[in-house]
Amino acid sequence: MRNVRVTIFFLVLVAAVFLGLAGRCFYLQKFKSKFYIDKSFVQQQSLSSFSPQRGTIYDRRGTILAASNTVLVIKAEPRIIENPEEVSTKLAEVLDMEAGEIYELITKNKKSGYVRIKEDAEADECDRVMGRETESEEAEEPAKDEIIAKKKRKRIHRGIAVESGRRRHYPLGRLVASIVGFTSRDEKQGLEGIEFKYNKELSGSSASSIFLADAGRRPIRLKQRKGVLTDGNGLILTIDSAIQEFTRSALMERYKSYEAESALAVVADPQTGEILAMVSLPDYDPAEAHSVDPNDRRNTALSDEFEPGSIMKPIAMAIGLEAVAVSKNDTIFCENGSYSGKGFGRIGEYRNGFGNLPLRMILVKSSNIGMAKVGQKLGRKRLHDGLEQFGFGKRVGIELSGEADGFLRPVGEWTGYSETRIPFGQEITVTALQLVQAFCVIANGGRLVHPHLVLAMLDNEGNVIEVRRPVPPVGYIIRPDVANWVKDAMVGVVNEGTGKRARLEKWQVFGKTGTANIALKDGKGYSTDDYIASFVAGAPAEEPAVIVLVSIRKPNKRLGKGYTGGVVASPVAAKIIEKTMNYLERQGG
Amino acid sequence: MVTDIRYNPMAGFTAMIAVLLMAIGTVFVFSADANVKHELDLQRFMEYPELRQVLYFPLACIIMYTVSIFDYRKLSLSNGWRNSPVIYLLVLSIVLLILVLIPGVGTEKNYARRWFIIPAGPIGKISFQPSELAKWATIFFLAAVCDKFGTGIRSFWKRFAPICAVVGLAVGLIIIEDFGTAAFIALLAFLMLIIAGAKWWHILAPLLFGALAFFTALISSPPRMRRIAAFLSPDKWNDSAAYQANQSLIALGSGGLWGKGLGRGICKYGHLPEDTTDFIFAIIGEELGFVGNAVVIGLFVLFVWLGVLVVLRCRDRLGQLLAGGIVLAISIQAAINIGVVTVVLPTKGIPLPFVSAGGTSMLLSSAAVGVLLNIAGQSAPGSVRSKG
Repeated sequence: MRNVRVTIFFLVLVAAVFLGLAGRCFYLQKFKSKFYIDKSFVQQQSLSSFSPQRGTIYDRRGTILAASNTVLVIKAEPRIIENPEEVSTKLAEVLDMEAGEIYELITKNKKSGYVRIKEDAEADECDRVMGRETESEEAEEPAKDEIIAKKKRKRIHRGIAVESGRRRHYPLGRLVASIVGFTSRDEKQGLEGIEFKYNKELSGSSASSIFLADAGRRPIRLKQRKGVLTDGNGLILTIDSAIQEFTRSALMERYKSYEAESALAVVADPQTGEILAMVSLPDYDPAEAHSVDPNDRRNTALSDEFEPGSIMKPIAMAIGLEAVAVSKNDTIFCENGSYSGKGFGRIGEYRNGFGNLPLRMILVKSSNIGMAKVGQKLGRKRLHDGLEQFGFGKRVGIELSGEADGFLRPVGEWTGYSETRIPFGQEITVTALQLVQAFCVIANGGRLVHPHLVLAMLDNEGNVIEVRRPVPPVGYIIRPDVANWVKDAMVGVVNEGTGKRARLEKWQVFGKTGTANIALKDGKGYSTDDYIASFVAGAPAEEPAVIVLVSIRKPNKRLGKGYTGGVVASPVAAKIIEKTMNYLERQGG
Repeated sequence: MVTDIRYNPMAGFTAMIAVLLMAIGTVFVFSADANVKHELDLQRFMEYPELRQVLYFPLACIIMYTVSIFDYRKLSLSNGWRNSPVIYLLVLSIVLLILVLIPGVGTEKNYARRWFIIPAGPIGKISFQPSELAKWATIFFLAAVCDKFGTGIRSFWKRFAPICAVVGLAVGLIIIEDFGTAAFIALLAFLMLIIAGAKWWHILAPLLFGALAFFTALISSPPRMRRIAAFLSPDKWNDSAAYQANQSLIALGSGGLWGKGLGRGICKYGHLPEDTTDFIFAIIGEELGFVGNAVVIGLFVLFVWLGVLVVLRCRDRLGQLLAGGIVLAISIQAAINIGVVTVVLPTKGIPLPFVSAGGTSMLLSSAAVGVLLNIAGQSAPGSVRSKG
């Protein structure tokens, strides 16, 4: 029975081998399972994401300021691309792109499963990437083999595909760029302006699905779904693009002809604080936003702090009247052009001295000494608190980022200089929006309103879901008779004083000029060449519908055309008011 | 000449195991051939492995039963060489092995000329692999010839050498196109000779000769060398030679203990090549996990155990040699296949008996098991013997 024993020996040996193999399976499937599952994910999963439609931004009349269009995107999955050089060379032949650029895109995100190679690709580029025939079919019926061959025609490379994506468009371009801002290239992230501030609301929420895929990366079945696809909300801004256009073109003309460093203009509705137009020059084209100088992208109306100069006088006067430090019929001796004393140095006028001036004429003639004396009568505390109530020294809360606080010294740090200089706009810095906010108070009879940009939010079906009502009045910070008196004095400025160039036949304008010296960088004194020429105005005087602030920084004095607020800025404000008022009249608003 | 095996539990269990394995195989061939590209087109019935398998599975059962009712002693050489079907089978195999090498007669698949494609009218084409037939012919021939010679096998020149020459001819014809199967048949032949009582030092000579032949075959074929190299350094992920092995490990490993669920595997969608044939075990591992693999291995262990019982209870030398040869052939082939799938052995094209898709292999294995069933039925205590 030797042969039986040998047979059984061999069979037992085989059985033992089987047990060993079972052990090997157990090792692979128990202890190495995680490793192989991870490995399998790399080749067996493919991700497709569904991006929401980003909300549209409209102006108050329904003009589209920002909207998303569908475009074709050529995408890559770098982690499965084994040979980036080869892929980028092949792609470069088909796309109008440099091979190096493509190579960088792929290698920079090596571990990633998704990179956009080209957005807004042409249809025939996509066809070539996917290996589809682009030439028109031959007249003859293709043979069966050819059909099969066509079906088998491979896309340009594994890991390269086409998807439909979205791209943000800004139909008005530069006109509203400094307000609306722009997004990242894939439009998922707002980077500046309203796009940035309202990114969450505008973006909506995206959804993505992870598919299990076969070797040709065709989906087999859904593995996991993340998120719920919700389109972004739309926004309606307070901006009126027609007024924005008047404002920009009027400002642009001055900005260029005076070779100014920068210029800004804001148009607001004093009753509500709605910003109708806001222009900041230089500006930029949002289509090239990613490559322009970041300085050009600043919205100077909210980011630039400056010493306002004489434009501050009506506000200080209103504070003085409200506190009854002075009364409307007072006359103040303006020292014939030179006023000095212990603790506040010497104060001069811009041109000639004035002698005795009624309060109203202090504003009309823009007397520094008169205002210094009003400040002295008010005292530090009352002047400081009044300025705070008008909103100086803190942000107005506009719906844009980058807003500056302005600088209002705490009252404890005030000196005799402070109480005499601040009333004519030195030793304090403000933003254009703070000035607009303050003059809205004068124009609307004493009520504080906050400048704002968003009128309403729309859900993704276009229904209004959140009305940005005009911010409820914080309260009257000056009496209506004081506000009206100051407004009337500002009518005087336009009709008989420094703002004569802003006079209009049809509309009664009120306003105030400001020509501020720019403080030297070392903080010692002021430059004699660099000015900020400003003009604030409103119309019509009886029931103001608009407040306009124009501020032009560093007009070129050497051109010999002047540099003061009255010369440089007030004609711009007048032009804006004229066009805007006519426009609003036509609109029935 | 017809034997009644109905009341024999051992034969019944053996048959059950074979049928169970074929059933598992059919289910997984069906699962593994799933494809996102196409739906089944019944017009091209025979082009789909899973449909072929559905056809072959019952056919294999019928063949197994039919063969099992014929007395295995008909295979004996004791009635004279000319009356034994074993000799005719061997001659037929060798003729077919020669024919398949002739271009135009044999058909190339995967760069190896191993197949006959036989047109079969309305259901399409049937492919037939003569090396499978040669495997069984060799085993049956060795069992029969060793039975006839008895202890005479110990005489080197008179008995041993001629037997080796015949086996060598078959193996030599196969090695040209199918290295793995040839090596496997050679291994089985040596085991059979040892079992039959050949002297150890006699075996050394053909072993040396065989080793030389296989080494030559190996180095003369770059793809084979690549596969061996890939096996030795499987970490070269991108190397196409190691690709199959890596994919096999991913399929097995990602199945975990419990698997992804029947039909829910991913590797079969083009990631793992040869998923219905040589790597079906990996698909079972992916979809049913370690549990599924353990069941398959367990069935093969049971099969071996039943084989041991059959050999122990068998009263005559022919039965012992035949049963031993058949059980060894099937179980060693299974072990090699699983070894390849679990990357213990380098990749070679050997299917998992009963489970892998493939008509020739399945039908012939079933026939062999039929013979085994007959031996089991006749040898068990209390069975009815009716010599015809």
